[in-house]
Amino acid sequence: MWRLSPRVLLSAFILSLVGLSLAAPGAIAASPSSSPGAASVLRVGMTSGIDNPNIWAVTSVAEWEAVALQYDMLLKFSDKDLTAAPSLATSCDHSADYRVWTCKIRTGVKWSDGQPLTSRDIAFSFKFALDKNVPVFAGYFPGNPKFETPDDQTLIWRTKDPTNAPMVPAWSYVVPEHIWSKYLKSSLAEIKAVNVVPNVASGPYYLTSANPGQNWTFTRNPYFWGQKPAYDSVEFVLYTNQDAMVQALKNGEIAIADGVDSALLPAVSKLANVAVQKVTSDWWVNLAFNFGGQGTSSHPLAALKDLTVRKAIVMAIDKQAIVDKVYYGAGSPGDTIIRPLSAFWHLTVPSDKVIKYDPAGANSLLDAAGYRRGADGIRIDPKNGKPLVIRMPVSDDTAGSLPAGQLIAGYLKAIGITVNVQQVTAGKMSDIESSGNFDAYIWYWSGDPDPNYQLSAFTSAQCGGLSDGCFADPAYDAMFVKQGTIFDPVARQVIVKEMQQYLYDHIPGVALVYPSAIEAYRTDQVAGLTSVPGANGYLVPDYSYTSFVTAHPATASSGAPSSSGLPLWIWAVGALVVVAGGGLVVRRSAKRRDERE
Amino acid sequence: MWVKAVGRKSGWSLVTLWFVLSFNFFLFRIMPGDPIALLARSQRLSPAALIEQRRILGLDQALPLQYVTYLRQTLSGNLGVSMISGTPVTSIIGSRIWPTVLLVGVGTTLAIILGVIGGIAGGWNRGSSLDRSSLYGSMVLYSTPEGWLGMLVLIVLAGTLGWFPAGGYSSGAASGMAHVTDVAKHLVLPVITLTLSYMGQFLIVMRSSLVDIKEEDFIGIARAKGLTDAMVRRRHAVPNAFLPSFTLIVLSFGFVLGGAIVIETVFSWPGLGLLTYQAIQNQDYPVLQAIFLLSSSTVIVANLLADLTYRFLDPRVEVV
Repeated sequence: MWRLSPRVLLSAFILSLVGLSLAAPGAIAASPSSSPGAASVLRVGMTSGIDNPNIWAVTSVAEWEAVALQYDMLLKFSDKDLTAAPSLATSCDHSADYRVWTCKIRTGVKWSDGQPLTSRDIAFSFKFALDKNVPVFAGYFPGNPKFETPDDQTLIWRTKDPTNAPMVPAWSYVVPEHIWSKYLKSSLAEIKAVNVVPNVASGPYYLTSANPGQNWTFTRNPYFWGQKPAYDSVEFVLYTNQDAMVQALKNGEIAIADGVDSALLPAVSKLANVAVQKVTSDWWVNLAFNFGGQGTSSHPLAALKDLTVRKAIVMAIDKQAIVDKVYYGAGSPGDTIIRPLSAFWHLTVPSDKVIKYDPAGANSLLDAAGYRRGADGIRIDPKNGKPLVIRMPVSDDTAGSLPAGQLIAGYLKAIGITVNVQQVTAGKMSDIESSGNFDAYIWYWSGDPDPNYQLSAFTSAQCGGLSDGCFADPAYDAMFVKQGTIFDPVARQVIVKEMQQYLYDHIPGVALVYPSAIEAYRTDQVAGLTSVPGANGYLVPDYSYTSFVTAHPATASSGAPSSSGLPLWIWAVGALVVVAGGGLVVRRSAKRRDERE
Repeated sequence: MWVKAVGRKSGWSLVTLWFVLSFNFFLFRIMPGDPIALLARSQRLSPAALIEQRRILGLDQALPLQYVTYLRQTLSGNLGVSMISGTPVTSIIGSRIWPTVLLVGVGTTLAIILGVIGGIAGGWNRGSSLDRSSLYGSMVLYSTPEGWLGMLVLIVLAGTLGWFPAGGYSSGAASGMAHVTDVAKHLVLPVITLTLSYMGQFLIVMRSSLVDIKEEDFIGIARAKGLTDAMVRRRHAVPNAFLPSFTLIVLSFGFVLGGAIVIETVFSWPGLGLLTYQAIQNQDYPVLQAIFLLSSSTVIVANLLADLTYRFLDPRVEVV
């Protein structure tokens, strides 16, 4: 009689594992993943973390995108240029002194659970963000405003001082009072830990499944007040490896790849049925100069306080070459500190005021200013006899900062300035910045659609705060104060552009490059995506969910993965291995039995 | 004597654990950088908001006070909340344990089985073509960077051939058997990479141990008794040659909860290895402390188990 020895069982286990590893993928591939009538899913690959879907804990780019997909604002960012546009409020009018704003709220809006959305939800959301001091939202309510709701369709925003805050627009989302009022007495830490699955929201999709660090699934909101989206659901899938995300796009596992690294642009551009969207940047690579004043060990190179030296540095840097060589052409040379994505506020520097790439001119400028070259070719500061040697750390969280820094070192060497480039972690960079122990550095900046935050970073009040290198200029400070008192957008636009020109001329730093954010999508899976803002905007919801409302499947495909799975011959070989292995085990078992007998 | 030895060894393990606990706390705080200051850039936070964040997370307190708070909370099972997501660390770790156990457990088991079998086959037939090919092959695999091997596997089997998914743990909201097969499908590539990367060490250790044992007198005696070659190998050589491999195996399972940082990152596998990588990137102290505490604890426990069970495998070994 046969007996199953431990060895036979072990062998059977191994063969089963082999069989499973071969059969499981095939089983999936063989299943009808795109059967007629199947739910349509828009799969989006992400590279930033999807950890906590709770709106009060939003941190990463993907989490912001999830919020933008689900929630509405009082006034939204316009799809054209990110200025304020109707959303839950159809209009907001101000009193003559800008102290009272009255907003008319859209009628018939419901939450995803069917409850009505009224002005009370909006007032509650804003008060909640303020009372709980939610860092990313509270700043959009300056002057501690009061919110009143005389009826369901009216919201009054009242402040002691004049304000234009509602029209920025206030980048704070509206949440359901009937859900969050339970947490009025909870701490922010407790609120961040609240499980929000399934979520209740007013946007086109709401979260119905969340596997932290893996994937989030959003289901179409049956009560959405706008145009009905075509997809039944949207799925965010996390890839911690850029190459893996591109492979997933290539084999059709995902329809859209968000945040593709520019180094992969050449490869992605060659993929069949894949289109690339080069999004006008909402961040930029910044070269900051240190003027001294922060920390206790701040002893920056004195020559950098000389505008002539800074201007010569700008003239020596070929920004276009950095765009081409470091970012593979995906980007544009930088000019001002307001990102071009905020088209209404961004100043395109007039051609007669542009500091052009001119290394010969830079040399002449330095010669004329008395910066003579020493025996080693390095220029000497005539005021203190010190050579122009710049310590320039570059942060590793800024894509392309190291090669850009190395290129800059080469450019400045040609005009007699030595640059010692050192790549550091973002953590180390924050230490360097706060201690002031640098002469220049390369780090990224990203701003709000409204220019106030970014403009404030160059005021003398921000030395030790947001300021890069403690640039202090009373004339600029005065302009900053003045722009804060102008509430008419067109009038404010004038002074905001003057401030950009002022900074461009006085060079507290250099906006080196506006790198493009790169998104890629499969043209055989998805169509109808709307970029926001404008033609070179984001396809994945960043400021607005419009794109995923207008998106629809490109073909009859359901949007399910199109990877082929294991071919038949692998199945055959697998089956052969299992059968042969089984036979071998039985034979050897019988042989051992004979030996024992 | 035995009970005393167990008590002594357990005591030393607890001391080691306390050292790890303290080391974890200070290690992450001497790292350069201020995680809250970084939020100013990425989250557009004002200086006032940053001060508030420091207060909420207790980072405005003196270091000794933070240490006492940390010890008290850890001993009461409270590992704090993530500085980035605000989620309790215990729930973050809890959600990442199973994927890591699945990947590293299956991969390590396969690596052990294949490595040990390969080592036995090679060591028993020393100098044969089977021995040479398995030895050189395993040395090549052992010395190949996991990340590079993973990328090769990924590009060929997922990208070019499209046989397997390019990453992740599952495809979405499937449930039941569909979910199981979906996870299995995602598991294949990281398991292949992990198995190939790890099996070399088991093969090399088993082979060299068996080669030594094969020359011992008792093997000759066993043959003289008329036992077949297979019986000599199975009954006398392998059990005696297995001790070094056993130590390696137990310690390897101790590292299971440490995750496979590189492989999990390459394949976007949401385990503890990937969590470690992300927490280091974000300087998320509470998460890092918890992961290091967990992985250190499992290694300490595995070491203790190996020490204590050795006596049963080899009576010559005395537990002191």
